[in-house]
Amino acid sequence: MDMNEESSEARKLKCGDTSKCFELLESILDGEVDNSKDMLKEKLAKCQPCFEHFHLEQAIRDVLKNKCTKQAVPNELADSIRRQIQEIK
Amino acid sequence: MSEVQRRKYSQEEKNGIFDGEFMPHIDSMYNFAYRLTFDEDDAKDLVQDTYLKAYRFINSFEKGTNAKAWLFRILKNSFINEYRRKSKQPAKVDYQEVETYYNSDDVDYQSTSDMRADSVKDMLGDEISNALNSLAVDFRTVIILCDLEGFTYEEMSKILDIPIGTVRSRLHRARNLLKEKLQGYAKNMGYNTDEEE
Ligand SMILES: [Zn+2]
Repeated sequence: MDMNEESSEARKLKCGDTSKCFELLESILDGEVDNSKDMLKEKLAKCQPCFEHFHLEQAIRDVLKNKCTKQAVPNELADSIRRQIQEIK
Repeated sequence: MSEVQRRKYSQEEKNGIFDGEFMPHIDSMYNFAYRLTFDEDDAKDLVQDTYLKAYRFINSFEKGTNAKAWLFRILKNSFINEYRRKSKQPAKVDYQEVETYYNSDDVDYQSTSDMRADSVKDMLGDEISNALNSLAVDFRTVIILCDLEGFTYEEMSKILDIPIGTVRSRLHRARNLLKEKLQGYAKNMGYNTDEEE
């Protein structure tokens, strides 16, 4: 059932400090940590809860970015704004 | 962003800034406005108001700086003022209230969800949108700014007038709430999420 089972043997099943780890992982996903690549790789290779949390959080961000449809902007909005700007110039 | 610039732009410069730096963000602005108001006309008014204000205060904008964040901040403030003025009943969730209610210093970073990444990947756009739209406005706002618009924590802190630490914790809370909603959808889709039924 767990799709990551085969690859998780080297990982510890309990995270030493989820609060600290998850906060770091979320900051990394949000692009707030510089040069995080190696740190991340090591973390995900060692800790199963971190591995799972990272992939869930990543999936949620991807889905938000790619599937939340953008509302179409009404055609006349830009013109209407320009017209009103002309009036106050 | 808040300091008033003494320098005045010429009419030509104003037009250049307005067309070159402000107007290109109209799509994102409208989308943000729509996700705040859930109403096309209100969203149009909000965007229009924002652009008129931006033009009026154009001298306090420094050419070449982050126009998108500057505009979003104006829009957010207009929304809060408008929203409070328009609605007779007190706003459902007050920013301050949420802060004291939810944001203790020690944010609990335990995973609240046993949902799997795969069940999220199969979600449809409507389900994600509905889950996002069902969040209280301030939680919805941070997710829109971060995930849909790609603002950094620092930019968000300026747009929302809150410290970066609060941005981080509010975002974390918002995502946990979103996960709870998505978990409900995942159950409906038949994914096993450790249910006891
Ligand atoms: Zn860990």
